[in-house]
Amino acid sequence: MIFSLLDELLIFSAATVLVALILGRGLAVGWMVTILYGGQLLVLLKMAALGYGGNPIASELSLSVMGQDLSWRFDALSWFFALITLVAALLTSWFSCGEWERKFKQQGGNVWLFHLAMALNVFTMLILLASGDLLSLFIGWELVSWAGFLLMAVAGGVATNAAIRYITYAVVGGMSIFGGIALVYAAAGSLQYEAILIAVEKMSTGQLWMLVLLFGSGFGIKMGLLPFHLWQAAAYAETPGPGSAFLGAISSRMGLFAILLVLVKLFGIVNIDSLKIPFTLIDARDLLAWIAVFTIIFPTYTALKQNDARYLLAWHGIGQGGYMLLGLVTANSLGAAGGLLHVLNYAACQAALLMAVFAVMHRTGAADLNKLGGLVTRMPLSFLVLLTGIIGLAGLPPMNGFVSKWLVYRSLLEDGMPLLFLGTIIGTLGTILSVYKLIHNMFLGQLRVEHEHVREAPWSMMTPMLILAGVIFVTGLLPGIPLTWVAAALQTIGLTGPEITLGGIESSSGSLDMIWVIGVLFAGFGIGAVIFYSAGPSKRVHQLDNYAGGHFLTADVRYQYSDNFYSGLMHLIRGWYRGSFQWLENSITSLVEFLSLGMQGIYRRANSEFYLLSTALFIIAWVVF
Amino acid sequence: MAPIELLIELTLMPLIAFIVGMMMVLMMRRIAAKIQRRIGPPFFQPLYDIVKLHGKRTQVSHGLIHDIGIVMAMGGYIAAETLLPVPGMNGIAEKGGLITLLYLMMIPSLGLALGVGQCANPNGSIGIARALTAMLAYDIPLVIVIFGVAYAAGTTNLVEIIATQQAGGFATWGVVEMPLLAIAGLIAMHASLGKQPFEIYIAPAEIATGPMVEMSGKYLGGLFVMQCFQLYTTSVLYVSLFLGGGTTWFDFLIKSFLVLAIPVSIAYLFPRYRTEDLLRLMWKWPVMLGLIGLAFVM
Repeated sequence: MIFSLLDELLIFSAATVLVALILGRGLAVGWMVTILYGGQLLVLLKMAALGYGGNPIASELSLSVMGQDLSWRFDALSWFFALITLVAALLTSWFSCGEWERKFKQQGGNVWLFHLAMALNVFTMLILLASGDLLSLFIGWELVSWAGFLLMAVAGGVATNAAIRYITYAVVGGMSIFGGIALVYAAAGSLQYEAILIAVEKMSTGQLWMLVLLFGSGFGIKMGLLPFHLWQAAAYAETPGPGSAFLGAISSRMGLFAILLVLVKLFGIVNIDSLKIPFTLIDARDLLAWIAVFTIIFPTYTALKQNDARYLLAWHGIGQGGYMLLGLVTANSLGAAGGLLHVLNYAACQAALLMAVFAVMHRTGAADLNKLGGLVTRMPLSFLVLLTGIIGLAGLPPMNGFVSKWLVYRSLLEDGMPLLFLGTIIGTLGTILSVYKLIHNMFLGQLRVEHEHVREAPWSMMTPMLILAGVIFVTGLLPGIPLTWVAAALQTIGLTGPEITLGGIESSSGSLDMIWVIGVLFAGFGIGAVIFYSAGPSKRVHQLDNYAGGHFLTADVRYQYSDNFYSGLMHLIRGWYRGSFQWLENSITSLVEFLSLGMQGIYRRANSEFYLLSTALFIIAWVVF
Repeated sequence: MAPIELLIELTLMPLIAFIVGMMMVLMMRRIAAKIQRRIGPPFFQPLYDIVKLHGKRTQVSHGLIHDIGIVMAMGGYIAAETLLPVPGMNGIAEKGGLITLLYLMMIPSLGLALGVGQCANPNGSIGIARALTAMLAYDIPLVIVIFGVAYAAGTTNLVEIIATQQAGGFATWGVVEMPLLAIAGLIAMHASLGKQPFEIYIAPAEIATGPMVEMSGKYLGGLFVMQCFQLYTTSVLYVSLFLGGGTTWFDFLIKSFLVLAIPVSIAYLFPRYRTEDLLRLMWKWPVMLGLIGLAFVM
């Protein structure tokens, strides 16, 4: 048997898991798996033709389970997601090598389990991305869910609770997907994509609705779409540093991948568009779009309230998923490209941001935004990375997030959807507010006495962070490079991309050329610098040499403004945080508990005749009706 | 276009913006003086101020980010001017468009926010928190307005938006075709200038001028330059969206100064709102006007 490149990749990835499993107790395991991730990335790059519209690469391995053929293959869409996954894995694993590992071990963490969980996550994600039919998709999906659970639970304590909450959601999602698959099988008689594509055309509206709801909510749970988003922030934030950055960057995007594959490719946007909701003016696609917009707004404003840097970013991660889905359900060339491009752009930003936060945590032991401040003078490079990341996350030029969000805005404008457009902008403004709070409370303002001697993060952490900052900038400067991959990926799910130039896109209703925009921006900075620095030298003063309304400032006076940062805004919108979703989750939990108690009662108390009788009655009723 | 021509345009556009911006500062001060029955400053006062501030012997820096913040505040606007078409010059307006311009205009605010943050003064930080809150307040109606105009024009290309208005004459001006959006835009623009009654982030009596509290010498000078650009950019953008841009420099400048005179005249008649009142006001009236106006456009 001759191995295809995909087989090589999967074998390489499985080998990484084995190495982490067997040699994980030894020294330098971090470096070893990092190099292996690098190897996987190289194999993936050998498949780079996929990113430019090359033919799909199939795995030689195929199985037959109960008459169902299972197959695996990589196309442009899988390649695009795999690229992000492997780069994220490589850099976050690199970040974990050396000092971080040592400290993690000192604090009682299990390094072996951590690396094993990471390697398993990468391996299972690749299997999911390679799935060639609905059954292998489901297998990959479940593997990813459990691997994610393992990584989330590594830290123990609060993290375990968060992980259990996650897996509860994931199991419900898995069941929902399984139900969907059963329905598809009943309709199509097969789980092969080709057969399903034919069967979809003959499906009734009711069937399609059922499928959209089942798959949509099943995959939506992983993505943290409203109202299934509650598990995500704590689960990601409490995962050990590099794991958190990895999960935050790519993990929930697996849900998006599956949505694209099943809802967009198999069911088709046109079919989803035809599903009208009775007595309203909206259809299933509008419903998805509105879910996406609310997923942008609510989590973003929840993030604004957070006082823990990790939670703040994790909540933003949920919100940013909304932009991706929104862009993709508009399904026009600009929006779809923007949505998919945002997966990459966001992954780079989020990984960089979380790494910077964890680097600060590594040095200071704190992620509480009320216990930091002024670190820019001590950790300037981490500041730079965080700054790059927040500009990207907020979607301002010159970073990459601007390009993908610009495409989404433009598509909504072109389709004439003012309220959705307004929703995205409200989300973006909320992001700007919240990321400024992040950078201000960590790096700007007053340096605390106890952080007087903090040093910059070690190079083992700094290098991957700086590489990511570079990626964020370069993909912002030359968005044409990733857009080409995006266009190829869109083709595999039956959508077309926009007309691409190296610096952006070409469109009759307004183009974008980032090379020019960034060029003039930096020229502007240059002129500003000339004006500023030609005005003579300035004297650097100590931070305590400050206007304090007639008081004298001493080192023990804390005057950093950090708590309740946007007090004026919060004064107005405080009442809007009702915790409705938390209430919904609690009520469902109570309902399930109540039902299970009832069942338990029947099982324990009732005599077996009653038990038998009620079951028989139920079956008769079911047969009759 | 020949590269040399483009280069000249890219140099001239910010330069003109700066000079016109200084004249707008002068107009603002003169209007204030008229309302307060003073004589007001001489013609060259804005220039004197900038030169004086940059020439101060004692320049107090709170660190590198403090410096870079000021550079970004000036540089962001210098760049933004090249995306804002003026009579006879389009710069790189067609390579970015309206949305890019809007976002580029946020860079100076970001620079200012970073610089002020580095100063480690709670008054400054509160000022920035308020400034960002104000942005959240006025950007929502502003975005509705921008959406309406871009949707009606079918493009985000400012050059085309202006050209369409000029080709159709006065009857096709934004202000005639979309009067509600024009009113909403004017209110949002007033708030974006941060003048009374929307002066929540300067609030001298309350937070000691907020962002400016640690700024002196060339730092304050940089902010002065930024203000010149800000006045120019805001009014020219409004003129481009609603008043047909300018066919000649003469009518272009007249329109720009007149537009700016409206909020400035109102400003000196009012005291200041509280932060939450600003939010409430912005999210109610201009948003409502904007949405109704938008409904007419769609």
